[in-house]
Amino acid sequence: MSARYLARQSAQAIFTIFMIVLLNFVLFRMMPGSPDRVNPRNPNVTIEQRQAALARWGLDKPLIPDQLVAFVSSTLQGDLGYSMKFQGQPVTQVIGDRFGPTILLIGLAELIAIFLGLGLGAWTGWRRGGLADRIGNGLSLILYSMPYFVIGMPLIIIFAAGLGWFPTSGMLTPGATYAGPADFLGDLLSHLALPLATISLGLIGGYSILMRSSITETRAEDYIATARAKGLPDGKILRSHAIPNALLPAVTLVAINLGYVVGGAITAEIVFNWPGLGTLTVDALNSRDYPVLQGIFLLLGVSVVLANFVADIVYGYLDPRVRQ
Amino acid sequence: MVGTDDAVQPPVTPGGVRGRRQRPLPRLADPDAPLLVVENLRTYFTLSSGIVKAVDGVSFELHDGEALGIAGESGCGKTTTALSLLRLLPANAKVVSGSVKLFGIDLATKSENALRRYRWREISVIFQGAMNALNPVRRVGDQVAEPIIERLGVPKAEANRRARELLELVGIARDRAADYPHQLSGGMRQRAMIAMALACDPAIVIGDEPTTALDVMVQAQILELLERLREQLGLSLILITHDLSVIAETCDRVMVMYAGRVAEEGPVRTVFSGPRHPYTQMLLAAIPNLDSDKRLLGTIPGSPPDLRTPPPGCRFHPRCPLAMDVCREVVPEEVRYADGVRVACHLYPPGGDGARRPIPIVEVTGADAAPAGDFTPASAGELAR
Amino acid sequence: MSAVAVTPVDLRGARWRLRLRNAREFARRFARRKDGVVGAVILLLFAVLALAPQLFVGPLQTVTTATGATLDPPSVAHLLGTDEVGRDMLNLTVHGARVSMVIGLLATLITILLGAMIGIVSGFVGGRTDQVLMRLTDFFLVLPTFVLAIVLAPIILDIVGTDAELFGIRATLLVIIVVIGLTSWASMARIIRSQTLSVKERMFVDRARVIGGSRAHIMRRHILPNVVNLIVANTVLTFAGAIFTETTLSFIGLGDPFQPSWGQLLNAAQQAGAPGLGAWWYIVPPAVCVVVVILAFTLVGNALDDVLNPKSATR
Repeated sequence: MSARYLARQSAQAIFTIFMIVLLNFVLFRMMPGSPDRVNPRNPNVTIEQRQAALARWGLDKPLIPDQLVAFVSSTLQGDLGYSMKFQGQPVTQVIGDRFGPTILLIGLAELIAIFLGLGLGAWTGWRRGGLADRIGNGLSLILYSMPYFVIGMPLIIIFAAGLGWFPTSGMLTPGATYAGPADFLGDLLSHLALPLATISLGLIGGYSILMRSSITETRAEDYIATARAKGLPDGKILRSHAIPNALLPAVTLVAINLGYVVGGAITAEIVFNWPGLGTLTVDALNSRDYPVLQGIFLLLGVSVVLANFVADIVYGYLDPRVRQ
Repeated sequence: MVGTDDAVQPPVTPGGVRGRRQRPLPRLADPDAPLLVVENLRTYFTLSSGIVKAVDGVSFELHDGEALGIAGESGCGKTTTALSLLRLLPANAKVVSGSVKLFGIDLATKSENALRRYRWREISVIFQGAMNALNPVRRVGDQVAEPIIERLGVPKAEANRRARELLELVGIARDRAADYPHQLSGGMRQRAMIAMALACDPAIVIGDEPTTALDVMVQAQILELLERLREQLGLSLILITHDLSVIAETCDRVMVMYAGRVAEEGPVRTVFSGPRHPYTQMLLAAIPNLDSDKRLLGTIPGSPPDLRTPPPGCRFHPRCPLAMDVCREVVPEEVRYADGVRVACHLYPPGGDGARRPIPIVEVTGADAAPAGDFTPASAGELAR
Repeated sequence: MSAVAVTPVDLRGARWRLRLRNAREFARRFARRKDGVVGAVILLLFAVLALAPQLFVGPLQTVTTATGATLDPPSVAHLLGTDEVGRDMLNLTVHGARVSMVIGLLATLITILLGAMIGIVSGFVGGRTDQVLMRLTDFFLVLPTFVLAIVLAPIILDIVGTDAELFGIRATLLVIIVVIGLTSWASMARIIRSQTLSVKERMFVDRARVIGGSRAHIMRRHILPNVVNLIVANTVLTFAGAIFTETTLSFIGLGDPFQPSWGQLLNAAQQAGAPGLGAWWYIVPPAVCVVVVILAFTLVGNALDDVLNPKSATR
């Protein structure tokens, strides 16, 4: 991978992140209400916090460039302000507390979806026609049309409320004490099952359609005809020749999707009352806790940019034609 | 290099596959049977608009160590014929009848799984336009070694060594085995395809327009390579091309196809110096040549028929300058002559003397075209040196 | 050379005949796509429901006009059961069709207008304008639009005030419409731009310029008709996305409880604890409607794309 390519992509990524920070600034200056972003009526806000907020926003100085610079520099230093709802806790902490559960849920779901979704798509795309293909494609289309909560709510009705196999909400049983790590893990997993299934199913729908169309295009290429002429068995042609090529566009899209999936899974977290970034976003929305919303927006924006960057690098690694 | 005379006995370059190969012949092979005998092959395509009779009753033989050229216009069925031998056809095509006997083994009756075992091990293919026939994300050496590993069961290290040898044989430096296809030039990719085709030491190599997509200089190099390989290895070759000069240069026999059927077939020298079938005559007349007879026709009027509804009788009759009434109704029978040529044309009925019937030449001067004599391909004969 | 009488050619008539023939050809090819036809029929059904829901189920039930007991499962009186204040689910769902479809339609219109305008201008004018516009577009493509929508909505609401109303649509829904439009135009703009670029290459555009057509004229009369095919297919898919996003935004709480869309109904269901209580009738009708409509749009959009923009056939 050429250093120049890397440098150029990095520069673009950094520029975009900067633009997002800028947008953050613009957006939240448009907000009505107390400009120092710290609720003055909140008894838990200390003098130091209010002064820090003043420094962050530079409110006693002119808008441009001083307020802008103050905002950008404090953001880059990791100071994202203080939450209005959570008794003046720093936003970074509020977000940080919720980060883990979301990553756990999304991370596992992506892993499952990548293997099952891309696999299903490759299989149905390779064996065009026939009942399996039509059913697989039909199911994928339906799943793709369902927002996460539309998948989740029926799952709760059937498996939690109905059959009682799983709890209906939350990440852990409230007020539970655990005998040991296995006990804890069991409780976690039983709570994790349905939300994980929800997000995985949603992603599988999309990834399956994606891979199916990629494999269909690859199938028509000449080198597949060569592989057939070589007398290689069908499965070997799919694995050694078709999939490595079909993966190229698929991987790019999957990597890019990683950046968005956190935002998209908000509704899934709501349905299951999962204590992650999704429910935090809705809470912040309802209580107009702008600093927290701001922080989440920044986090997701940066993650999308990073995801795009990673996608570029991975693609360059997989496709030898791009490597120079 | 090419057979020294046009006697009936097909020239066998010393050895052929039976001479050179260490690996035994296929288990079911009859050691006395000819290398390849194709009889009455019919391959039809099913489209939503009708059935295309792409190959409709084609027969030919290939002998060990021999090179057969299949010539004809685009769409005449030459590629389909070759791909039908191994049933490497798209999903909407089917070999509906005929036999394909390799060493006496009828491949047409084999199931897909059984047939697969003969692919590449006995018959391999050099596809047109190797730019896309090679997998872009795998190294060239790996792709050449792949059939050696998968089909011959040779361990990886040994297969890689053989692959590098093969690349050297076709004129590619050994260290380029680690390159990807896009790093090679067009000519080198074609050579790599040839190396890959030879990987399992097949009995027959099919070259489907192997030089069409290349520029003239590279074309010459590839042809030279093929000739050298034929000589060195006693390769049996089926060469498909619309370019008669290529066939003249590399092949022992030529088979001219038209609209899914065989028009004429025989030793290259004989056919090119004395073409019988009107279509063959017109094909040869269409070749530009500095010394040629200046009264020659430049093109064949009309266009190839729609094979969903081919013309009855002889399929060439709508464009044939010597067409007779019988041509419109009856399919001409194939007749074999002592000089080794086979023709399917009513001008050459069974029991006739087989003397040539030249087509009339139209002199192309000014506004009026006047018949100015008969076609004598003196110049065309120069092709078959 | 003898004088030849010039017969006036009926250009306008010829143009309409050509359009008619193209339309018939299109209808024939579309009819061959069974999935597209099924989708179209479904959409027609919902469009009819959305146009005049009162005709089918009477006026929208409110808390005061609720007719049933709270959270009743389906019965003869209430075919789809009741919600937590006793309103008939069938009534709510059918009225929800209107809200969801109208919001989707308006949001899509904004998206196409913005996207097509920016795409055509950017592609046609080229140069610095193109570069700047594309930078902007790429930026919007990167933004996590869903979160942006969540962030923008309360801001705009606070600015506009929750009681504002336009064309009978209340503020919260207006905000959703605007926000969807603002965040979805980018991919449309990209697609339109590349199509504009390829159309620009063609000869007749140069000829029009030589004749002296103004840039606006060229864009309207020559570029637009050739880009329309692409716009149409993408519009349908955009509509699907708009309904998807509106449903999700309403579910999160940005919807309007007085003009409930399907997403809002699902939000209410979630708030009432319906999943945990097993009150499936509260969830299934709006959920099924959402999925079916989005699916129908997707099928129609894909079929349209195939028919209008045939890609070169692979071997």
